[in-house]
Amino acid sequence: MLNTIMKTKLFGWVDRRTGAEAIIKSQLTEYPAPKNLNYMWNFGSLALLVLVIQILTGIFLAMYYKPSAAFSYGSYTVAFDSVERIMRDVNFGWLIRYMHAVGASAFFVVVYMHIGRGLYYGSYKEPRELLWIIGVVILLIMQGAAFFGYLLPWGQMSFWGATVITNLFGALPVIGEFLQEVLRGGFAVGDPTLNRFFSLHYLFPLLLVAIVGGHIHALHVVHSNNPEGIDLTKEEEKIMFHPYYTVKDAFGVAVFLLFYCYFVFFNPQAWGYFIEVDNYVPANNLSTPAHIAPVWYLTPWYTILRSFESKLLGVVMMGASLAILFALPFLDRSKVRSARYRPVFKQMVYLFFVTVIVLGYCGHSAPTPTLKLIGQIATTYYFAFFLLLLVVPKFEKTKPVPEGI
Amino acid sequence: MTEKTNDSRRNFLYLAAGGLGGVAAAAAVVPFIGSMLPAADTLAASKTEYDVSTVAEGQLVVIQWQGKPVFVTNRTEELLKQLDGHDEMLKDKDSTAIDAVSAKWLTDENRKYRSIKPEYLIVVASCTHLGCIPGYKPSAGRKEWGDSVPENWPGGWHCPCHGSLYDLSARVINGSPAPYNLYLMPYKYKSDTTVVIG
Amino acid sequence: MRFKQLLIAVGALAVLSFSQSAIANEGGGAALKHAEIDVTDQAQIRRGLTVFTDVCMGCHSATYVTYKGLMDYPEIDLSREAVDELRGDHAITEGMRTELSPEDAESSYGKVPPDLSLIVAARRGGADYIYSLMTGFENDPEGKIPEGNYNKYFTGHRIAMPDPLAWLDHDAEDTAQLEKDAQDVSAFLAFIADPHQNERRAIGCWVMGFLLLLVLVLWRLKVEVWKDVKH
Repeated sequence: MLNTIMKTKLFGWVDRRTGAEAIIKSQLTEYPAPKNLNYMWNFGSLALLVLVIQILTGIFLAMYYKPSAAFSYGSYTVAFDSVERIMRDVNFGWLIRYMHAVGASAFFVVVYMHIGRGLYYGSYKEPRELLWIIGVVILLIMQGAAFFGYLLPWGQMSFWGATVITNLFGALPVIGEFLQEVLRGGFAVGDPTLNRFFSLHYLFPLLLVAIVGGHIHALHVVHSNNPEGIDLTKEEEKIMFHPYYTVKDAFGVAVFLLFYCYFVFFNPQAWGYFIEVDNYVPANNLSTPAHIAPVWYLTPWYTILRSFESKLLGVVMMGASLAILFALPFLDRSKVRSARYRPVFKQMVYLFFVTVIVLGYCGHSAPTPTLKLIGQIATTYYFAFFLLLLVVPKFEKTKPVPEGI
Repeated sequence: MTEKTNDSRRNFLYLAAGGLGGVAAAAAVVPFIGSMLPAADTLAASKTEYDVSTVAEGQLVVIQWQGKPVFVTNRTEELLKQLDGHDEMLKDKDSTAIDAVSAKWLTDENRKYRSIKPEYLIVVASCTHLGCIPGYKPSAGRKEWGDSVPENWPGGWHCPCHGSLYDLSARVINGSPAPYNLYLMPYKYKSDTTVVIG
Repeated sequence: MRFKQLLIAVGALAVLSFSQSAIANEGGGAALKHAEIDVTDQAQIRRGLTVFTDVCMGCHSATYVTYKGLMDYPEIDLSREAVDELRGDHAITEGMRTELSPEDAESSYGKVPPDLSLIVAARRGGADYIYSLMTGFENDPEGKIPEGNYNKYFTGHRIAMPDPLAWLDHDAEDTAQLEKDAQDVSAFLAFIADPHQNERRAIGCWVMGFLLLLVLVLWRLKVEVWKDVKH
């Protein structure tokens, strides 16, 4: 179908003035990719799909959402009312809202799988260090967008989650107070906070579009890694992206949609993980819910924060846990990329995945002494993983890496 | 397995995939565009009640219905007489154009009056040209209105934006840029004096 | 391979324990009773609406449920006359609001009764919790909390809402009716918390069916196209 379009006169007119044909061919249809990519390589295109879904559903939600914390009736506010209006009165509003809420969690599932692939197969190593770094930037912006977005329904979790996180920033020395005030727009989280978070929530995904463009461009310069982690030099080791990976990605999309639509249509709250029970209670600044936890995709970092007695140390270490991701390409000096050929690294990476899940579990649960201890152990390994990588390559006996695929 | 079989299966699958993808895309568009149609609560604000006895004789009142301006006029005997004698000036004397905006209560008897009760005219106050609210000029002739109305002015409305003219039953007069009489709408009398519009 | 299996095991365990913790009772009180409700059952939802207007609306509002909605939702589908009777002077586009002012409520009960539009979604246990709560009034075994304010299922057991269905005073023959009333009102509340849920699931069935077909076609297409490649 794309070929038919590209043969038309109209396309020729546009192509002469933009170079569209060359771009489409070199970046999509005739773009060479390794022939041995497995399904872990589908998550990049899935992430792009979910970004598009979020922006689309977000724009239509914004046609009805009102970012005002003014009270309307009882403890209900204009913002909370507008979300309920979307759910009840707007045609298919319920569908668009559920797509957006499930989509937010789906975005993180897909991106975490994508990052996991990068870790395991060494996709962050030379020459893909900058590609990885841009990816970490994407993760940070996603977390920001999710944080801003979660305030908007103005439920109990929205309000108290925002209160806790903005208080975190206050812990930073020198700039903390200023940062907190600039985020909140007042003495506490309130109407000014809500309005600016709405503005920023709209902005961040659009920033993402640009940064994802950069991410894909950086990828296309160095080309994809592959499960063996070796550089591919021979022509027959590569295949054209179209039709092989367009079709494989399409299949991946269909499987993803199966899971996504199950949640959207049959279980949008996902037992309280995608839409938290407490968020159906309108925000009350005089009463904190019994059990505050951030949304599941932020829980690992919450545990790291809570693992330290000192408030400042907690904030700093939480920041460090994200910052250290940037350093990964420069900490791990092994010449071998893929965990398939690095037996020690392989165990370390699997343990790292388990650790992140454990961190998440601890962050979600009420902080009992046992869970706190487990969280601290997990936090230790989280950082140890990166620091050990400084020394592991020196003594790791890697398996012989194949010549080709 | 020959090349040919491969190709035909491949083509079939491409076609099937494309077809299903097209269906999915079309289905996905429906809720998004649908969400832009008026929401249920917007549609619910569709009726307005009004007490016509508050309109003095000869007076014109402008009320709101579904966000639109509506004229409620109390026409005196004098004014009602002005509805005759200028049939040839009217574009649509029997209010036959645009069935959708005429009303089921319109009968042959009340067609001239374009209202259920002859004295109270209730019409949408948007000029059918481009929507301005026409000005009320009930008395016949040019004595009060000067050149702004034609010589044989039967009384009615004159739109300030582009000069459209309507008679006292809001029927559009020849020469006006407006194509239709001021729109009618469904309404009924809940009591002798309370009207429910919509 | 072994660590991969360990990873999957831990992951599964995590997911399981996540979902378990979500079903338990709100504040760690007694395990909830299961409410027999069917949000597609118009008769049950209508009975629940009656319980709501007769009993609950004395103190609680359901402001997101408009009188017009009672006519428009097919699961309730009240006639114009029935709705006119219910709404009295209120406009048909207004939400169902209690006459009890927040000030009077505070002085009588110590708390403002929450709006019930979303209560089933806003409490862990949902409809099971509401049903259990309604039939969970007891005499305090320790004798500290006054009669009518001790509830087996409420966190901390001291509930400001005094036994609305008079469960505490019921005798053996009332039990079945009271249990039914409690379940019916839970059905009504479960419905109004998410009025489009039946439509959602119906559309969902079609979507899942379509997607299964799409997955099948695209899988075969992928296998077919990849026959060209030695992999």
